[in-house]
Amino acid sequence: MKLLFVEDEPVLLEEMESYFSSLGFICEHALTFWQAAAKFDNYTYDIVVLDITLPDGTGIDLIPTIREKNAETGILILSARDSLQDKLKGLDLGADDYLTKPFFVEELNARINALYRRKTFKGAKQIIFEDFKIDLVSKLLTHKADTIPLTRKEYEMLIYFVVNKNRVMSKSSIAEHLWGDHFDQSDNFDTLYVHVKNLRKKLSAASNNDYIKSVYGMGYKFTF
Amino acid sequence: MKLLTKTSINQFLLSLFILIVTGIMLLLLLQIEVSAEIEEQLELQSAMVADEIAAGRTINFPLVQIDSQNVTLLKQPQVFKDTLIYDRIQNVSEDYYYLSETRKINGKDYRVRVMTTHIGLTGYFKAVGYIFAVMACLFILLGSLMNYFINHKVWRPFLVNLQRLKSYSVSSKEGLQLDSSDITEFKEMNSVLSELAAKAQKEYLALKEFTGNASHEIQTPLSIIQSRLESISQYPLELEVARYIVDAKQATNRLSRVNKGLLLLAKLENDDFPDKELIDLKESLNSHINLIEDLLINKGMVLGRQISSKEVHASPFLLEILFSNLLSNIIAHSRSGNVIISLDNDRMIFSNEGEKLNFPESKLFSRFGKGIDDYKGNGLGLSIVKQICIVNGWEINYNYSVGMHRFEITFL
Repeated sequence: MKLLFVEDEPVLLEEMESYFSSLGFICEHALTFWQAAAKFDNYTYDIVVLDITLPDGTGIDLIPTIREKNAETGILILSARDSLQDKLKGLDLGADDYLTKPFFVEELNARINALYRRKTFKGAKQIIFEDFKIDLVSKLLTHKADTIPLTRKEYEMLIYFVVNKNRVMSKSSIAEHLWGDHFDQSDNFDTLYVHVKNLRKKLSAASNNDYIKSVYGMGYKFTF
Repeated sequence: MKLLTKTSINQFLLSLFILIVTGIMLLLLLQIEVSAEIEEQLELQSAMVADEIAAGRTINFPLVQIDSQNVTLLKQPQVFKDTLIYDRIQNVSEDYYYLSETRKINGKDYRVRVMTTHIGLTGYFKAVGYIFAVMACLFILLGSLMNYFINHKVWRPFLVNLQRLKSYSVSSKEGLQLDSSDITEFKEMNSVLSELAAKAQKEYLALKEFTGNASHEIQTPLSIIQSRLESISQYPLELEVARYIVDAKQATNRLSRVNKGLLLLAKLENDDFPDKELIDLKESLNSHINLIEDLLINKGMVLGRQISSKEVHASPFLLEILFSNLLSNIIAHSRSGNVIISLDNDRMIFSNEGEKLNFPESKLFSRFGKGIDDYKGNGLGLSIVKQICIVNGWEINYNYSVGMHRFEITFL
């Protein structure tokens, strides 16, 4: 997957590029509106992560250019403004998703993966890890030939874990993914713990492997 | 007391005072003047009677008495006096006034008494009283008519403007519109008020813009802090360092939440939500409850839903925040027990079991108006809920009875 990050804040750019490179994606970046515009002239990308506030223009104005070049490019807007107008205008012009700063890079990854699957037909219809198979269409988890029943939250959490494998994810990151960012997640950590415990139990009952590792105080890490 | 009532009463009391003083004066002057005239008339009559006697003619008139025999009477001085004479025609005793004096006519003393009808104080009092009572009535009647007229013509712009001022809010987009008046004082007041309102509005906008900009400028550094903390978390850390990082992350999260809340409030006051559409609240509310049902169940709460269809014209974005905030309020402040969420055509009710508030209800919807020591929220949630209700023209009320907190939103 080829990604372009249009972002003028170097630290955020570095954070995103280092994480997505570690996942094996090809990452490029543009720091300004004109750098980005020049990139679109010469290359095509699977996904563009677009910051709205750029030093020499607004990212929204880039959307038609990207669309003109390639209708299949997924566009994800990243904004510090949390402005509904920007969101509506962006989606209206052809952006596919919208994420507000500050964000968790795992959430961005989950969105990019989902967008990639939805947008292009290159994305897989299923995720496979070891002997497990998650069917993204029927939303079923199977181990070898056995179907493992999951609740909706467990299913969502499993996908979040698998796409962000080997990363220590904070409880807030997972809780925000499950219940949305309007909640104060510290109220929900007990429930999160219950879901993690149940998912861990179901996975290890099938495979005898403990995939979900608790990292003291920090959160959880999914490894295989 | 209304200004008009006050001035009317003062005006009436003053008129009453003037009427009484002038009435008494009129009464006295009239009596003095008429008495003097009567006395003159009686003296003239007496003189004419004397002339007749001197001419040797006999006087034979009932209202004139002449006596030349009674020595004691002849020695009396001249005297004016009241007397009563029976009036056969009217069948009452009438007041009469007489002059009795001793005159020397052709060398002989005669006692002459002439009289005429007398208008006493009561007579004047009656006449003057009637006239002045009518005057007082007219004063009241015409005075209130005039007040009514003044109230409706002269004071109208003032009263209209007062009403507008009452409903004026610095957060409204329109400036303060005042009715013009041709009264100098009102004109002056209008210009001062308009100026004041414009200034207040300008300052309000500046403050709002500042809040918006500040919040926006805070988001980016917060993103950097958060993502760096997440990156640090990827390394194997000592327990103590891990604890520091977790605390820092939680604080960052809280800061970000407060910041987003403030930004949202600033925008809500600006009514910046153009995505209004027809929405079935039933569907939207149910999907939000489904999303967090596991949180309620895990806390040992029993959820009851009584949700029927209700279409509203509103922003789905704001509805999402409204539902989330009310639901997270329940999750944060309730340990176990019943949670009942109901929706019908007129109202939406979120109620949950819990302890009574330990702070005044009036602080419930105000920003940062929390009173609980171990409170984890950011103190903006319910303030945002209230603002969303205002934007949609709904009314929100809180009450606590039989152990249940109850938030009731009435669609108007």
